[in-house]
Amino acid sequence: MSQLNRLTQGGRIDRTRKLSFTFNGKAHEGHAGDTLASALLANGVDIVNRSFKYSRPRGIVAAGAEEPNAVVQLGTTEAAQVPNVRATQQTLYDGLEACSTNGWPNVQRDLMSLVGKLGGQFMPPGFYYKTFMAPASLWMTYEKVIRKGAGLGRSPMEQDPDGYDHLNQHCDLLVIGGGPAGLAAALTAARAGARVILCDEQEELGGSLLDTRELLDDRPAAQWAEQVIAELTECDNVTLLARTTANGYHDHHFVTLHERRTEHLGETAPTVDGHRPSRSRMHRVRAGQVLLATGAHERPLVYAGNDVPGNLVAGAVSIYIRRYGVVPGNELVLSTSNDHAYRAALDWLEAGREVVAIVDARRNPDGELVEQARARGIRIIEGAAVLEAKGDKRVSGARVATIDAEAFRVTGQAETLACDTIASSGGYSPVIHLASHTGARPTWNDEILGFVPGLVKGVHAAGSARGVHDLAEGMADGMAKACEALTALGRCADTIELPRADAIREGKACALYQVPHEKPTLRGPKQFVDLQNDVTAAAIELATREGFESIEHVKRYTAMGFGTDQGKLGNINGMAIAARCLGKTIPEVGTTVFRPNYTPVTFGAIVGRHCRELFDPERYTAMHQWHVEHGAEFEDVGQWKRPWYFPKARASAVSGERESMEEAVARECRAVREKVGILDASTLGKIDIQGPDAREFLGRVYTNKWAKLAPGRVRYGLMCKDDGMVFDDGTTSCLGENHFLMTTTTGGAATVLEWLELWHQTEWPELEVTFNSVTDHWATMTITGPEARKLLAEITDMDLDRESFKFMDWREGVVAGVPARVFRISFTGELAFEINVQANYALHVWETLFAHGDKYGLTPYGTETMHVLRAEKGFIIAGQDTDGSVTPEDLGMQWAIGYDKPFSWIGKRALSRPDTARSDRKQLVGLRPKDPLVVLEEGAQIVFDPHHAIPMPMVGHVTSSYYSPTLDSGFALAVVKGGQQKMGETVYLPMADGQVHEAEIVSPIFVDPKGERQNV
Amino acid sequence: MSNTAAEKVRTFDTRTQAKIPVESPLAYSYRRSGAPAPTAKSRVVLRERPFLGHLVLRGGAIVLDEAVREVLGIPLPGEPQGLVHDADGQRSIQWISPDEWLVIVPGGEEFALENRLRESLGGAHFAISNVSGGQTLVELTGEAARELLMKSVIYDVHPSHFPVGKGVTTVFAKATVILRRPDEQRWELVVRRSFADYTYRWLLDAGEEYGIGVER
Repeated sequence: MSQLNRLTQGGRIDRTRKLSFTFNGKAHEGHAGDTLASALLANGVDIVNRSFKYSRPRGIVAAGAEEPNAVVQLGTTEAAQVPNVRATQQTLYDGLEACSTNGWPNVQRDLMSLVGKLGGQFMPPGFYYKTFMAPASLWMTYEKVIRKGAGLGRSPMEQDPDGYDHLNQHCDLLVIGGGPAGLAAALTAARAGARVILCDEQEELGGSLLDTRELLDDRPAAQWAEQVIAELTECDNVTLLARTTANGYHDHHFVTLHERRTEHLGETAPTVDGHRPSRSRMHRVRAGQVLLATGAHERPLVYAGNDVPGNLVAGAVSIYIRRYGVVPGNELVLSTSNDHAYRAALDWLEAGREVVAIVDARRNPDGELVEQARARGIRIIEGAAVLEAKGDKRVSGARVATIDAEAFRVTGQAETLACDTIASSGGYSPVIHLASHTGARPTWNDEILGFVPGLVKGVHAAGSARGVHDLAEGMADGMAKACEALTALGRCADTIELPRADAIREGKACALYQVPHEKPTLRGPKQFVDLQNDVTAAAIELATREGFESIEHVKRYTAMGFGTDQGKLGNINGMAIAARCLGKTIPEVGTTVFRPNYTPVTFGAIVGRHCRELFDPERYTAMHQWHVEHGAEFEDVGQWKRPWYFPKARASAVSGERESMEEAVARECRAVREKVGILDASTLGKIDIQGPDAREFLGRVYTNKWAKLAPGRVRYGLMCKDDGMVFDDGTTSCLGENHFLMTTTTGGAATVLEWLELWHQTEWPELEVTFNSVTDHWATMTITGPEARKLLAEITDMDLDRESFKFMDWREGVVAGVPARVFRISFTGELAFEINVQANYALHVWETLFAHGDKYGLTPYGTETMHVLRAEKGFIIAGQDTDGSVTPEDLGMQWAIGYDKPFSWIGKRALSRPDTARSDRKQLVGLRPKDPLVVLEEGAQIVFDPHHAIPMPMVGHVTSSYYSPTLDSGFALAVVKGGQQKMGETVYLPMADGQVHEAEIVSPIFVDPKGERQNV
Repeated sequence: MSNTAAEKVRTFDTRTQAKIPVESPLAYSYRRSGAPAPTAKSRVVLRERPFLGHLVLRGGAIVLDEAVREVLGIPLPGEPQGLVHDADGQRSIQWISPDEWLVIVPGGEEFALENRLRESLGGAHFAISNVSGGQTLVELTGEAARELLMKSVIYDVHPSHFPVGKGVTTVFAKATVILRRPDEQRWELVVRRSFADYTYRWLLDAGEEYGIGVER
């Protein structure tokens, strides 16, 4: 099919380069430089979609980000699917395949439209809420059907072949928008030597200069733009970003720019020199000052049938003709409230097509453009507007009549003009979205009939973005605002020489939003306000009648502005209609708040390369590779990957079959209790504490006493927050009189270090003490079990005699040829040595232990076995058996509280509150299921009386629960109200499946209650 | 009260001269992710400088400055975010926070240095912690090094803001690194051992489009 609407000359397209593409399966041709939208119009494609709610045929309305209808699905393969792309912003490339996001079986013959036509009368706002209210349980079912009927595009079901990334940028001045004001601003700042970033969402910089009728220095304006861009490209201090949308304005001038790097080249990123660049990139800009030169969006008029394909905003008509060499129709009727839109009619005429009439809502329009139109013999109907577009799949005529805009009524007899295109313009709304993201409220300006942005400190708006629509004034404004911004940064900026633009005298525009119709709004044909969400003027009127007065409520009730276009075209009209219905002014009604993102951003760009293997840091110990090679399953502890258990091949193995977790853990537990096991404990936090007041400091942050811990000795310590609740624990060793090594839980390491610094820096700066993390410096391997001493003795020169190297001692020596600190501390209740060496030597020491360990049955074990073994001993894990509401006394750890320490320690005061002294607090106990085969569920709720009516009073819950191979029984730790006084009593655990488990409250120490084994 | 080794603080040489197999923090990463050799087209080259001596100094600037001048022959950096090197560039001191500096010296010098500093500092309040096993130095060179950093760190690495002789602690992807600029050609990252693999994989991935090579 030929490009029937393509002009033979003009526009910024390359007619020598033809590009093939398909739309809804049909092949078309366009040119390099086209957008998908301009190519579709060139090919005479009228219907691009079906509407959201009523399934009405819809065509292209606009030429930029504000387009509500031409929202398409791209992609030739499943993995390359991209939903909801605005055809007006998608550059055409060869082989592009697009289809409509809505319409079944297709947009030309849509079955849903019957429903829409019927339902039209029956689908008022709130239709879904009102209709599908009951039964509530069925909403999930309704929702699926509704979504299918109304849905937009769909996500790909396969992995994206492309990569995405982030780039952190910093600049003095970020200029958003590369039109006349933006270019003038960027050039001013660039010449002043400032670091400038200039971004623009379009394919090329230049904005309206690329298609304006006006001349700069007597040459086409685009030439000046090209000259400025060439100069800026040469500047080292300037970053130019085309195809880059400023999608979000966050706090402190942090702005995210979404750059589409390869989407104009193909559906996946092409390789360059064997390397594949990211498909799109999020620039995370931290700017000193920001200048918004985002221009304005033209408002369409709201009249009956304004959604039939062939209705466009006037400015879009000019853009298609002048930038793309495409006239989207043959006979034009222009309905306008202002002079500016006359350009569309003049451009149309110059393209060689017929202008049927200009319908001007003003009585005596008299600007220069009006005069030009008159001089060319165009019929101008004054004081009138298009009341209604006729036609079904394409405009076939326009009903025109004189109106009284203020009284909101039709005053004359309607006349029908035959035409296939209606362009309308109700004025220009500054693009205030980004300014709104900062939280600043826009204000209504009656002069320009639009909201102008509210501005927080450091943000400037220039040109059309603040209602300065005149070309020369806009450029001067850009320059002036750039100077202001640089001055605010303490820099000097000189003004620059701007090109001369001949001022065009424009008559005053009139305020017209919704065009009156002969019938009242609620009874007349549909007048669309928000095309993407099918919100009509009648819907807004109905909402106000139903009592919705706040514009935010009207918005939510009618769904106005909820689409992917965020109501860029319709919102102001909707507010004006609400104002009319409520008898208020627009500023009284106010505006809804725009939020990020300005246009939708692909998830890929948000995520960048923080996905898959790089989703989050994985912290490894020095022995990680050994664990991988020995088949460890890993558990995430904070960001660490810790071996969870080491499943072995089953003895009776069918090929490759490995032990279950239960089997592996049981084997590992037995190895520790009977022989010797080894744990990689490198992840525990280690803090080197030095200073003459180190000991005093420890006494203040721990609940227990530190005054007498001698060098060479180790002590367990418990830490509370100031509310008296346990938050971390660990052992601390006295290395020297002024020198301690504190260990923390793996997950708590950073928090504890910050906690120590916080108290030192804010409360006790007079104490001479310092803290340094040495977690990564040391690798720690724990060998534990009855054979541990014999194993260690084989590879060390240290004296391991139980009398000279006692439990809770530490010693220095050489292990496997490496300087080591060895701590006799035990988290298993067995004889244990924690060997610490510099991490670079760790793998060697670890492997040496295994070289000697076979004869002792040395078995690697992971965190699961560690959990079982420590729970058998009643050792808590902070964060598992505690949850921020548990005191040391609740844990039965009175022995670790030094109430009589001379200086009050953190949490002491809180522990004297009546609430922390209650005898019925939840206290840590052991639970022994009556049926030894039962392993209680962690988190299971505990009750005293299982026959109590529901809701039963819950008296506690299980915090840790395992099967113990040593006991050959399930066992658990739990917190139970007043539990420490209830030894031997029975409690019940009702489960979700109706079973009720019985368990006996016992001591939390299940194995070796006297603690003899660790002392051997 | 004094912090000298003999009395109150227990210093300990964790390094041995014995022939013991030793693994840098990136040893596992090379095996797991490979190390693409640099080519003529590599616009950025990564090189680990493993096994150096890393000491963290904490205390008051004035006393520490005297001691390092005496022992190392170079002063503390004169201002925040400063980095100074000795004449042959082998030893450096970097400002970390108002009472904290990072000293990096050739591997094996750190224990003797710590003892000499303790001796020189005498009774002052200070702390020295040996963290040589816990971190490694990664060097980036090449024309694309700065852009690779822009992908990775939020700090402004523009030359006007990050001149030679500056060093900062900053966010690197979702981890933290110490970033420094010893000369016009090089950027250095001081990376915690446990985060080294993540950092390495990130750099390989982000550097792919520049043909990143790893010098070993």
